[in-house]
Amino acid sequence: MSRDDQLRNQRIVYYEQDIARLGTELDAFLELSKARCTLLVDRDGHLVTRRGEPMKTSEEAISALIAGSFAATREMARLLGETEFSILFHQGKRDSIQLQMIGERTLMATLFDGRTNLGMVRFYAQEAAVRISKVFAEIASEERVGNLQEDFEARAADALDKLF
Amino acid sequence: MVQINFAQKTVNVKIVYYGPGMSGKTTNLEVVHQRAPSTNRGELTSISTDGDRTLFFDYMPLDLGTVAGMRTCFQVYTVPGQVYYNSTRKLVLQGVDGVIFVADSSASMLDQNIESLRNLEENLNEYGKSLSSIPHVMQWNKRDLPDAMSVEELERHLNHHRAASFEAIANTGQGVFPTLKAMAAVVLKGIMQEAGGPKATSGTAIRPVAGSARPAGAPSPRPAIPRDAPAVEPAFHPAAAPVPAERTPLSVAAQAAPAAPAARPAVRTIAATAPAAAAPSSPAAVMRTVPKLTPVQRSDPRPHKMPVAGSPRRSRPAAAPAPVAAPRRRGNGVFTGMFVLLAAGAGALLAWVVLSVL
Repeated sequence: MSRDDQLRNQRIVYYEQDIARLGTELDAFLELSKARCTLLVDRDGHLVTRRGEPMKTSEEAISALIAGSFAATREMARLLGETEFSILFHQGKRDSIQLQMIGERTLMATLFDGRTNLGMVRFYAQEAAVRISKVFAEIASEERVGNLQEDFEARAADALDKLF
Repeated sequence: MVQINFAQKTVNVKIVYYGPGMSGKTTNLEVVHQRAPSTNRGELTSISTDGDRTLFFDYMPLDLGTVAGMRTCFQVYTVPGQVYYNSTRKLVLQGVDGVIFVADSSASMLDQNIESLRNLEENLNEYGKSLSSIPHVMQWNKRDLPDAMSVEELERHLNHHRAASFEAIANTGQGVFPTLKAMAAVVLKGIMQEAGGPKATSGTAIRPVAGSARPAGAPSPRPAIPRDAPAVEPAFHPAAAPVPAERTPLSVAAQAAPAAPAARPAVRTIAATAPAAAAPSSPAAVMRTVPKLTPVQRSDPRPHKMPVAGSPRRSRPAAAPAPVAAPRRRGNGVFTGMFVLLAAGAGALLAWVVLSVL
């Protein structure tokens, strides 16, 4: 992996305009697919953004499990000689979820129910994945200045003292 | 790796408890879950076997609250300690920002401690990291065992990078919070060194700084944990304090250990299917979630209930950022629909021709 590739893969800073662009794509996908909601999750398990209906459970926990599930599947693919299994599907009695890799480091999880079907979701998710991966590629290619407030460290120290 | 989301004003940090099997990693996390303020902790999710052995990972978000306008959250994981779970252990390490190595102080566990530390280094190397570059702290757990090795011996055998170290008796809660606090302090310091200041750019990762795991506080002798009294939390071990010039503002303050925790909390079984990868002796795997008492306090809370029937679908959650005024891309969908209709028509025509010929 070249240094440039490494830096692109390690980008983890998202700005409002990034999330707005991703949100626009996700809204369009939801409108077409009729899915309930969709989440973009970093490969490390951090939630990037979500659109659609609110979830009943912790989004952080779901994100961690999605990343873990995909990571386990990727390892399984490696053992079987595959590059990766880029799409996963879990079917439930009422709700189902499709997981799809977008680019190198993001997962798109789509929750849907009987108002649509797997074919619709998969078809439009493929289209959305192409557009969203372009957004991520553009984000990764841009050099922008951004920083936390200078007193972040001091305030974090205060917060830690209060918490522990 | 640290994720900074300026749209949702969040900073997410991934911390992993690592160590040999039965060294107390999950116990550490359970103590944090039990004693952290209910407004700061999320659900404790555990993918474990029926025997409460971690199968994939335990996970709990710990919310530090809003710091300088950013909701700062630690995503805390543990790994399965058994040797044969290395593949899953490696997966959990992906994107880790800080590692807490939980060593069993028992002399009979020294070899397992060394092997686990070597395994940690190997797995980090696969992600282009190493213990010399990633923030980590050491926890010498089970100090109450009769055959516990001396701290000096443990330091000599295991703490090759002179990281901050803490004595602990995790099942009573002693040493758990100071360890996590020191880890959090080092990681947050690393964030500022990479992201703070006007010169920081988003083009580089918010990577931990080499050697930043070393405590910056002045050396102070570490008191042994008294067996029969509330422990005053130890400062950084002298061997881990290289007498730097500056003193970190995130230094660990002395803190009395809370009372002993109860047994493992009641759990809710979500699934009970034994994975094929589990050892033959492993019983059925379960994922248990310890429900939090109250939801994690958010600066911008999102609704948690599903909309009632008849309500507008996909109502945007409160925390979700509003999209910019860019128009939605409907064109692609229309073209796709037309394409599908044309293809279906062509197919039907072809089928009719074939059937007519037959």
